[in-house]
This record gives sequence, structure tokens and C-alpha cells, in this order.
Amino acid sequence: MALLSISEPGQSKPKAHAIKKRAVGIDLGTTNSLVAVATEGHAHTLCDHEDHCLVPSVVHYAADGKVTVGYDAALKGVDDSANTISSVKRLMGRGFEDIHYDLPYEIEADENGGMPLIKTAAGKKSPVEVSAEILKSLVLRGEEEFGDELDGAVITVPAYFDEAQRQATKDAARLAGIKVLRLLGEPTAAAIAYGLDRKQEETVIIYDLGGGTFDVSLMRLEKGVFKVLATGGDAALGGDDLDRTVIQWILAEAGIEDDLSYSQLNALARIARHAKHALSDAEATDISFEHWSGTLSRELFNNLIDSHIDKTIKACRRVLRDAKVELSEISDIVMVGGSTRTPRVRERVSEFFGAEVHTEIDPDKVVAVGAALQADVLAGNKYGDDILLLDVIPLSLGIETMGGLMEKIIPRNTTIPVARAQQFTTYKDGQSVMSLHVLQGERELVSDCRSLAKFELRDIPPMVAGAAIIEVTYQVDADGLMEVHARELSTGIASSVVVKPSYGLEDKDIEKMITDSYAAAASDKQARSLQENKVEAERIIEALQSALALDGKKLLSDEEYAELSEGIEKLHEIIDSADSDAIHLASESLNEASLVFAGRRMDTQIKTALAGHSIEEIER
Amino acid sequence: MIDTNLNHFELFSLPVSFQVEDAVLDQEYKKLQAEVHPDRFVDADDRTRLQALQQTSMVNDAYETLKSPLKRSAYLLKLHDIDAEEHNQAHLQEEFLLQQLEMREALETLIESDDVEGLEAMRNSVNKEKTGTLELFESHFLRKDFTAAKSNYNQLQFLFKLLDEIDKAEEKLLDY
Repeated sequence: MALLSISEPGQSKPKAHAIKKRAVGIDLGTTNSLVAVATEGHAHTLCDHEDHCLVPSVVHYAADGKVTVGYDAALKGVDDSANTISSVKRLMGRGFEDIHYDLPYEIEADENGGMPLIKTAAGKKSPVEVSAEILKSLVLRGEEEFGDELDGAVITVPAYFDEAQRQATKDAARLAGIKVLRLLGEPTAAAIAYGLDRKQEETVIIYDLGGGTFDVSLMRLEKGVFKVLATGGDAALGGDDLDRTVIQWILAEAGIEDDLSYSQLNALARIARHAKHALSDAEATDISFEHWSGTLSRELFNNLIDSHIDKTIKACRRVLRDAKVELSEISDIVMVGGSTRTPRVRERVSEFFGAEVHTEIDPDKVVAVGAALQADVLAGNKYGDDILLLDVIPLSLGIETMGGLMEKIIPRNTTIPVARAQQFTTYKDGQSVMSLHVLQGERELVSDCRSLAKFELRDIPPMVAGAAIIEVTYQVDADGLMEVHARELSTGIASSVVVKPSYGLEDKDIEKMITDSYAAAASDKQARSLQENKVEAERIIEALQSALALDGKKLLSDEEYAELSEGIEKLHEIIDSADSDAIHLASESLNEASLVFAGRRMDTQIKTALAGHSIEEIER
Repeated sequence: MIDTNLNHFELFSLPVSFQVEDAVLDQEYKKLQAEVHPDRFVDADDRTRLQALQQTSMVNDAYETLKSPLKRSAYLLKLHDIDAEEHNQAHLQEEFLLQQLEMREALETLIESDDVEGLEAMRNSVNKEKTGTLELFESHFLRKDFTAAKSNYNQLQFLFKLLDEIDKAEEKLLDY
């Protein structure tokens, strides 16, 4: 029993979980990411020394292999956009041909034709590797908080993320060396942050307006089961669009033509964002840009952005209709994302639903906070909690059948974990291999669904055509990730299953990346220890040399003096050898050899200090 | 951990019957989930975690089966070694099949003429027939007339599918 704790007499028995598990909640966002921890049912986000809690989801790769994450990476992006990866979440679990928009960096399809690879000065990087760098920096923040390694993390994903996107997220965590306690839906996390999971029956809207994306989810809580009933949104609508309307207004007012320099545009974007923030509190704000200056009132600002808010309201209406839920059934509306700070957004959403909106928790942090609370529960720090969070599969899973049609095997909104079995038979004598194409989506044609993976079943026992009955089991776990198992029923022989993910990394790829990173970490560590030992050796030499110059002749015999001088010479030589261990050993032995000298110096110093003082004075 | 040899009714401590008390089912479901859900075993070894995954899947499957009258009917027949999915048109009276064909044609016409009220009326009448057929299933099953019960089940399959199509049609008509 590793958990030992002592209780005072008369106190209750120590709980089995007396040692707190170190678990964090991570909001891995498109624009920004956060990490939070919970204690005793209260969660707080972890910030850096400058009080920045948000980590921009930006990674910079330098030619020498140096990786920078967050604000520093974003700064590098100003001059080196080609090596600065932002919004990598949009690429997770997607195919090269899915990327129809412009990126400030270059991508190419990998050899197998599926995954997009980002070309950087430090080589080609998969979206999974880039996300892993962001996760690593968040994990580091968590480790600094606890002063130790983490036991695990809950990582949030959008509710509509398909299996490939979830798998990519989990792979990134594996690469970052973090144990995933659970992949949690972002809207679910936001609802948990507000304690809505503790209510009996609720129908909840999660309105998430971020920097560049808008998501709305309709969820129902029924007897401890959290179900996402419908999701909607706009992948290209967010706070940046609100800024842009202000920029357009300034340009029109100032009579400036549209061809501006990059630095002018940057300045304008800053001014617009500043004005937007100012108008959250003030009724009007003064704006000046170059030779022009003017005043933007909140009323005018509201008019400017209303068309964008209209789009979000329309998405809310669609989600209600999809879920067949009436407006009056909505009991809570939770605001998520920095852009919901804009008063007009809150006002319009509140007006549409005819109810107050939840804004008590910082909308930037609410998802991370919910994730941290759930991480705390899952890690076992809050035992005896009878609330269980059951998730559903957001999109139907199926396989390709004759004629390019999709046959659904597990319909959307089925509670997970779930397993479904299906039987197939061979169509050739002695057939030993069979292949399955697994898809996700709601449409009937294979071409309209997302291809997840191709599974090859091998080692089917050779039999006459039609005699072998192969039972294929599709198992979806609590994170929404799928595994396929197969077995021939009459012989009971299990087939081995080889997975070829359509847009992800194969298991062996990840293994290799992990081994490589261990090797890199080991060499980093070696380099660091060599550097440290060199510095230490030089410090010892310098201290000894100055002591010898001061007191050497006075306190040491000629023999002793020569011995120490020789030791210094020797250590000098070894420092140049770049042998970390040898430097350390030689430093230690020189240090020891000089102990007698140090002792004598101490004695004389004390004697000098005490000269002229009586014993009584000193003892007092 | 739960006994995987139990049938769905036994798993939920319910009598093997067409009648299932929703409240009891829900309560037992929560209890079982709390016991076996993988979230309760995040720190356990791989074997225990796999077991939790499989058992939770089984509980979810059993719950879904008992919750739905259609799936429950098929499962009751299966417990009596009758494969409800094995299609045998002889079980379906010609009269029923003809009626189904007519219903489908009527549905097409309603869609073509954007007749939302007509769809609503059709839904009501199919719902009524569904309720009657479920009652028939139950009484045949109680009398151990499994051939008749299976025929009722196959009719129910048609009716549930038709209801689904009416829903989809209505969604389409109400869409902009």
C-alpha cells in the first residue's frame, strides 16, 4: 500500500485517495489554448509569469530545430509566417484535399495521399506533431504548478469532431507524453463549469463565438446522461469579423483607399480590436488612425456588427429545429469564447432565447475550467460522485457496401461506449483476407461521408466459399474512438486487423516519433549536463584562484600550494575534453583537495573578526 | 463487475415481459453504468479497462434494446429462439402489404403537394395502427403464439419505418 496517511485520534479514517492526483483540464483551441486545475470543486486556469493565461495556439519551427510555442511563436510569425503554424486544429484528422482555404504556410499531401504535411525550416510536420508541441507547453505549465509530473489530463474537442479528428487529438497527447483521462466535448465542459450536470433535467444551449469560429450546441441532461442533441455553426465566423467591420468603417470615414501596407493593416487591426474592447464598457470611443480621428459610438458599432450576429442567431434557430426542441424548453444559455464579451452579442442572444445568458465565468476560460473539474473527478479526487457523464457518438459509423453506398452500423447519438457486431462470409474458396472501409457521416453515398480507415482482416482460415463466417465487431470507446476486431465463428480463429487510417498517423509512425523524441530529449539532457558541469568547474577554479592569490602563500606550505595549482591546471584541460562525467569528477576532487585550505581561511577570518571583543560581548 | 451470461431482463432485474417499467429500467441503468463505466477505471490495468469497456457496451446495448418497443419485441422472440429478422413474406398478410404500398404512395403525393397537415393526419393514423399492433404482439406473445407474434413484429418494422419517413418528409417540407 503506497498511500500512507496518519489521522489524528478522533478523526475519521483517512480516505483511500488521500494523495491528490495531479490532473489538469486542457482546452486545445483553434486560436488559443488553456490549461486549468481543480481542487475541492473549484478550478482555476494556470498563467505564465506575465499573467497570460491564454497560450496562442501557434508553433514556430526554426531551421536549427528549435521549437517555440505561444506568444513568442506568434511574434516570430510577423517576420517568418512560413515557419509559424497557427490554427492547426483545422487540419487535425483532415485530408489534404479538404483544405480549400489559403494558409500562411505551405502544406503538401503525405506519400499515402491523405494527411496534409506542413513544410517548415525544421522539416515536414504533421498536424499531430504541431498540436503535440502546444500540449507539451501546457503540460509544462501544469507540472510547474504541481512541482511534479502529471497523472493525466482531460482534453476538450468540439462536439462535432469525427473519429479521425478525435484520434488525431489523442495521438497528439500520446506524442506529448500525457495520459488522456477523457476526450470531452467542449460544450459539455462548458456546461460542467456552470454545474449544469448537477441539475435534474435541463435543455441547454452552448453559444461559442471565438476568434475565428462559431459553434452552437443544444444539449439535454436527462438523469445523469448528457446528450448533444444537435450542433451547428460557422467555421469562418468570429471576433475577427467584428474587427473587420470596424476597420471598414474607419477606412470609409477616413476616405482611405483599400491598398494599405502590411504594417498599416496591422495597426488598423490593433486599433479596431482596441475600440471593440473599449465599447464593451464605454458608450463611445475615440479612434485615430494616421491623420484621421473620429468617434465610434456603441450604437453605431452595434449596427455594424448586427449582420454577423444575425448569422449566429440563424444557426441557433436551425439547431433548435434539428433537435425538434421548442424555444421555451431551453433552461440555460452558456456563453463561451472571447467574442461573447461584446455586450451586443449577449443582448441579441438573450433576446432571441427570451432568457438571461450565463456570463459569470470568463468565456475564454469556461471550457478549460469544466475540463479541469472533470479531470479532478476522473482522477479519483472526488470519490462517491454519482454523476456520470455519458456521451453519444456525434456522427453515424458505417461501412462501404456494394455500389458505393454507406451502410450504417452505429447510428449517431447512440450512447458510447458501444459495440456492434456484423457477420460476413467469404466469396472465394480459401479466401484468407478481407477488407473493410469504415466511414462516418449521415449521407448515403460513400463519397459524401468521411473516410476513416481501411481495415484489412488477415488469417481467415481457408474454407470453401461461403463456409467461413466472419464476425466483425466495431467497438467505440468513451472517447468516441473506434477499434475493429474480427473472428471466424466456426473455428473461433481471430483475424489480425491491419488499420490504414485515411487521414492520420499509423501506430508505428507514432511509436517512431515517440522514440525519436526520447532520443532527442536524452541528447538535450546530455548537452545541458555538460554545460552545467563546465560552468561549475569554472566557478570552482575561479574561486580557488582568487583565494590562492589572497591567502595561498600565507596559509599553505609550498607543497600544498603546488598541489592545488596542479589540480587547477588538470581541471582546465579536462574542461576542454567535453566529457561531462570526467569534468564533474575532476571538479569534485579539486573541491575536496581544497577543503583544508578553505578550513584554514575560515579560522583566520573568524580570528580576525573576533579580535578586540570580549567573550561576554560575543555570547550576548 | 457484472455477469455477462445474464439476459437483458435479468441484467436490469426485470421480469421477462413485453411490459417494461421505464422508471425501473432507467434507475437500474444508472446503477449499472456507475458500476462498470470506463470513467471509473481510468487508473486500472489494461485488462480491467477493456472489461469495463465491453461491459459498458453491453449495458448500453441492453438498455437500448429494452427501451425501444420494436427492439424489445425482437429480443423477446430471440429469447424463444426465433429470429425475428429472418424475413418470410408469408408471415405478412397480403392485405397488410397492399395497405403499406398504398400508404407509401399516399406519402409521395403528400410530399409532392407540400401538404404538411396531410402528413400530420397520416402520422396520427399510423401511430394508432402501431399502438394496436404492439398490443396484438403482446397478446400473441403471452399466448405463446410465436408465429403470429413474429408476423406482428414484421408489421411493426414497416410501421416504424413509415413513421420515420413521415418525420423526414415533414422536416424537408418545413425547411426553407
